[in-house]
Amino acid sequence: MTGALAHFGPRRRVYPSFFAKAFQRELAYKFEYFIGVFNGLLFMFIFTSLWEAVYAGPTAATGGTAFTREGIITYAVYAMLVRISMTQEESGIPAKVRSGEIAMDMIKPVNYMLMTLAETGGGTLFHWVTRVAPIFAVALFAFDAWPPSDPLNWLMLGVSWVFGYLIFFYLNFAFALLAFWFVETFSFQLMKFGLFTLFAGGIVPIDFFPDWLQPVIAFLPFPSIIYVPTALFIGHIPAAEAGSLIGVQVAWTVGLGLLCRVMWGMGQRKLIVQGG
Amino acid sequence: MRDLPIYLTMMLAAIRAKMEYRVTFLFLFFALVTFYLGQLGTVLVVIDRFGSINGWTLGEMAFLYGLMVFSQSITTFFFASLVNFEGLIMQGGFDRYLLRPLDPLPQLIASQFEVSSIAHLVIGVSALVYGAAGTDIAWSAGKVAFFFVVVAGAVMIQGGVRLGVSAICFWTMRNRSLVHILVFSSKEFILYPVSIFNYWIQVFLTLVFPLAFVNFYPSHVFLNRDASNLLFSPLIQYATPVAGVVFFSLAYLLWRAGINHYQSTGS
Repeated sequence: MTGALAHFGPRRRVYPSFFAKAFQRELAYKFEYFIGVFNGLLFMFIFTSLWEAVYAGPTAATGGTAFTREGIITYAVYAMLVRISMTQEESGIPAKVRSGEIAMDMIKPVNYMLMTLAETGGGTLFHWVTRVAPIFAVALFAFDAWPPSDPLNWLMLGVSWVFGYLIFFYLNFAFALLAFWFVETFSFQLMKFGLFTLFAGGIVPIDFFPDWLQPVIAFLPFPSIIYVPTALFIGHIPAAEAGSLIGVQVAWTVGLGLLCRVMWGMGQRKLIVQGG
Repeated sequence: MRDLPIYLTMMLAAIRAKMEYRVTFLFLFFALVTFYLGQLGTVLVVIDRFGSINGWTLGEMAFLYGLMVFSQSITTFFFASLVNFEGLIMQGGFDRYLLRPLDPLPQLIASQFEVSSIAHLVIGVSALVYGAAGTDIAWSAGKVAFFFVVVAGAVMIQGGVRLGVSAICFWTMRNRSLVHILVFSSKEFILYPVSIFNYWIQVFLTLVFPLAFVNFYPSHVFLNRDASNLLFSPLIQYATPVAGVVFFSLAYLLWRAGINHYQSTGS
């Protein structure tokens, strides 16, 4: 009886609400997506505007570097694409360490680091299709930055992007593993992000840094992440130098990979001590 | 106004909560300074290489940056709780403010303190002092007074952005990506002189999303820059307080409308 009444009573109004809520949820999701794409284009627009203005200045010419006006615009567009093409979820591990959930990952019969890498890679691939591709398509027309046609440039991009991505992943992973020793890792990640912003070449190419600073930056892992793949791709760095630069990338990948392994092993023991 | 002591007590409690762990607090402060030096570093590198950006020298750029970060410091001090307003709405935390017999907005303002506010203060003041020294600003009493009015206007504009973006949450429940783009990414626009952008973006940053008033226009007054080429009228360099009042009022109206909407759904 009450069940039948419910079709006529005030409760009937809940169904349009369910309908509206589901619609709203989907809309919010789509909205997030478009904002994300828009955000990437916004940064491209700001940096290309910056370089247009700088290169139009009276003192400028090329700032004494090999970048022409067209060259730096192309660099700005592709550096931003490389930056957007690398994604990572950073808060996962520290949160798991704090909650103890990480123990569940430790008892799984898989290498946790490779598992995380595989998961992150899958997410990144999805991100390519949904974010990077549309941003690339719009950027082609909006900023008049056509990619090189030589397959060699694409090959160099492919190889150096993979190693750049691995360095990016291991670096973030190492910083996340600090959670084993420190309650709060947000500060470390913030510092890393500051150094990344400045030295990875996502905004300013390494060539523009003061001459005394450039050799110092060359000893950091950051330029290998964005600057090297971008500069090789747009032909700013000649193919003859690709071998040594990719060699440096490989060295960083191996070094940081080992560091992560050691930290993971030590952290695991440390966690057991705490748990006991 | 008679409720002011309550708000002050709340604010002090919020500050004490953040300062409880001294080492964490100091370390976070240090990390924030590093983070912002990274951002500032990109600007410095460009100036070091090219001498100026669109006619703005190192000292002038420092002043421009200082005005942005200093006003941001005060904005963060007052409006920190609005950055994660989505969380308050989603988890029902906002209902707690509605239940108390006080206006929810001042409660929100007093409820949270962010360490970044102090980091901004230190960086902002340093950049302003450096910029003022490097450009030989002749400080008169009028300029000093105008400086504080400008900062108040700039805080109202940036606070208005946060308030307006939060108000949207009353309808959509979610606003994280909007916060990301309108509160944080958008600041990249005023890291540089707005004059580097094309005409329509300048119009947008003046009439629609008035960030150009935060630092670009008023800097012309302090730095004695030629204002004859500014949009609409040279008088725009004095208009930051007006823009602040108008923009914050509009944001507040949206906020009021949002709260009424939120109550009516009863969620």
